[in-house]
Amino acid sequence: MMATHHVMGVTGAYPMLVTLWLLPLAGAVLCWAFGPQLRGLAGWLASGAIAASFVLTVASWASGTQSAGGALGAHQYLFSWMPGFDFGLLLDPLSLLWTLIITGVGFLIHFYSIGYMHGDRAFARFFAYMNFFVFAMLTLVLSDNFAGLLVGWGLVGLASYFLIGFWFERRTAVAAARKAFVINVAGDVGIMFAIFLIVANVHSTAFGDAFAASGTLSSGLLFAICVALFIGAAAKSAQIPLHTWLPDAMEGPTPVSALIHAATMVTAGVYLIARCAPLWSANSDAQLLVGTIGGLTALVGAILGCVQWDIKRILAYSTMSQIGYMIMGVGVGAYEGGVAHFFTHAFFKAQLFLGAGIIIHNLANEQDVRRMGGLIKRMPFAFVAILTGVLSICGTPGFSGFFSKDRVIYGALQHGHPWLYAVGILTAGITAYYMFRLLFITFWGEYRGSVDPSDLGIRHPELSGVVDPDAGAGHAKEPADRAHHAEHAPAWIMSVPVGILIVPTVLIGWLMFGGDTSPWNGFFASSFPSAALATPAISELATSGVVLLLVIGGFGIAWWRYGTREAAANAVERLRNESVRMPAILTHLFYIDAAIDLICVRTSQLLGQFFGRLVDPLVVDGTVREAAFGARWLGVLVQSLETGLVRAYALVLALGAACFIAYYALAVAR
Amino acid sequence: MAVAISNYVGLSAVMFFIGVAGVLLRRNPLVMLMSIELMFNSANLLFIAFARAWVANAGQIFAFLIITVAAAEAAIGLAIVVATFRDEKNVDVDQVRLLKG
Repeated sequence: MMATHHVMGVTGAYPMLVTLWLLPLAGAVLCWAFGPQLRGLAGWLASGAIAASFVLTVASWASGTQSAGGALGAHQYLFSWMPGFDFGLLLDPLSLLWTLIITGVGFLIHFYSIGYMHGDRAFARFFAYMNFFVFAMLTLVLSDNFAGLLVGWGLVGLASYFLIGFWFERRTAVAAARKAFVINVAGDVGIMFAIFLIVANVHSTAFGDAFAASGTLSSGLLFAICVALFIGAAAKSAQIPLHTWLPDAMEGPTPVSALIHAATMVTAGVYLIARCAPLWSANSDAQLLVGTIGGLTALVGAILGCVQWDIKRILAYSTMSQIGYMIMGVGVGAYEGGVAHFFTHAFFKAQLFLGAGIIIHNLANEQDVRRMGGLIKRMPFAFVAILTGVLSICGTPGFSGFFSKDRVIYGALQHGHPWLYAVGILTAGITAYYMFRLLFITFWGEYRGSVDPSDLGIRHPELSGVVDPDAGAGHAKEPADRAHHAEHAPAWIMSVPVGILIVPTVLIGWLMFGGDTSPWNGFFASSFPSAALATPAISELATSGVVLLLVIGGFGIAWWRYGTREAAANAVERLRNESVRMPAILTHLFYIDAAIDLICVRTSQLLGQFFGRLVDPLVVDGTVREAAFGARWLGVLVQSLETGLVRAYALVLALGAACFIAYYALAVAR
Repeated sequence: MAVAISNYVGLSAVMFFIGVAGVLLRRNPLVMLMSIELMFNSANLLFIAFARAWVANAGQIFAFLIITVAAAEAAIGLAIVVATFRDEKNVDVDQVRLLKG
């Protein structure tokens, strides 16, 4: 045990830290316990808890947590679970940023859910889960040590499981929830092994102790710790090859997709790597590995986003791709850039999901973009929401995504990874293509909801052979019982949060304007280890120009395929052709699910069958059976000695005594 | 004049082996109980003889204790014999084999 515990240089204190951490838990317990009594009030109660948490978080910024000479932040010791292993809450620039997003965007999504979930049978249960998720996520980001982080890590996985399987009457939702949980637990185990390694070598779970010791650990050990941590990060943040649960997670209600599977939980991996920046900065192998997987995920996610038809699945693959960017950024060492992309992504992706939620809500739970079309006239507000989101995610200059994405891409070059730089630029072009594809198919042309689905190339998922009906894929429809509830919640409840989100979606990126002198860099001035940067031959401005060209190219292809007057006129035939002629490798999503099934699931099943059919009946049961048989046989053998003849017993006694006497007689005689 | 201690030891050994032979050879439980008493008393004789020879009175006290235990043992043994007789109408120890495994 170390005598002094590093608290990351934070000396400030903030008395309300515990309150803002526990408020969502209180909301969850109340909604859970008194759901039937609260009815519609549950939504307001839950939203209020998150709003209060957000206000307290913002207040922490103003109330003198700026410690003298130290970094901005506060630390609160809570308890010690073993001598030398303390649990406390840490609010530093990194966790403050995450807390702001979790509670701020979280509040808007809670508020939106009051409208979206209106009339659902389990209205209060939904908000109990949502509040529980916020509590779990706050535990994750506010913990000052790895063990507390793992507790939060596990709890957000549990909350995600609850919410993906929220409509548990649907088999696909239950299967998706189970898949997400299993993959996330695989990640938890990775983090657990990292903690084992850290405790074995540093004798502490505190972040400060581990980072202070990072210079003394051997590079092999450091690499092992980073890989174990990254397994956790990859599972949670949907990095290849552990990404397959994320598209399936779209089975949950749309606000859940917006909050958990876009804005917050799936970025926990980015948080973990940014938090452990001293470990990564000390090991270039780990940086290369994480950066490469991040770049690969960005590219593959973008490619798969181009071939999806379910509006939420398009957004899910785009989330995966954008998180790939973030992981690439924090992986190669461009921490400010990766975290910046998390920050802007939380806004524009939440906005895209909530905009999609408005469409889904108004079209009686239709999610297939082929059955939309022409919605610009019916839902102009949703169009504005999605348009701003699309412009931002594509990196249109001036919109927030432009600033953060270019930072990540250029950061890869500055930290000496030209290939990742190229992948980042290419992915930006593909992103523009699939996002504008979504926009044009959904809003351009004529409404296709009354067209026969087979004319649009929509095959019944079970008949197509593409999707296993139990695998959680397919055309997710929300349950019929809430499709036609009698009265709708007032439309403003869903519109106001989206309207508020438009502002940061468009403008928040300007915080990052100005390079090293920007407020963003000032905020993180002392958070991340600095590295010697190369001065690349290509300037940042030129990079932005190239990215912009590719984005315009992507937009152009999308326009040419879906946006022109001619394309809109033949939309039904074109969509049908595209659906039918799509190559198998793309409809099977690069066979990654099949590979995981073959490598992990099938081998586990074979191993299980081996143990279940051979080892268990023969070895385990056999041992027990043979032991019982042997005891019985021995009993039969000894039984014959028990004659019941009293005089025989007396004889044995007498002989024994005689032996005894003879022995002593001889011993004495000698 | 004192009798030599070896005479007591010899008499005690003879009594003991008569007792052992009685237990092993006779099938009447009453005789077997009497044989057991004989073995007890051989032990008593030794205690008293050695107590007197070495002027250690603890041996005499042991003899009293053994007489008491022997009385208790005889009471239990006779009770078993009576109970067995009521049950089996027979007290031949070779015929009564309730302890057979």
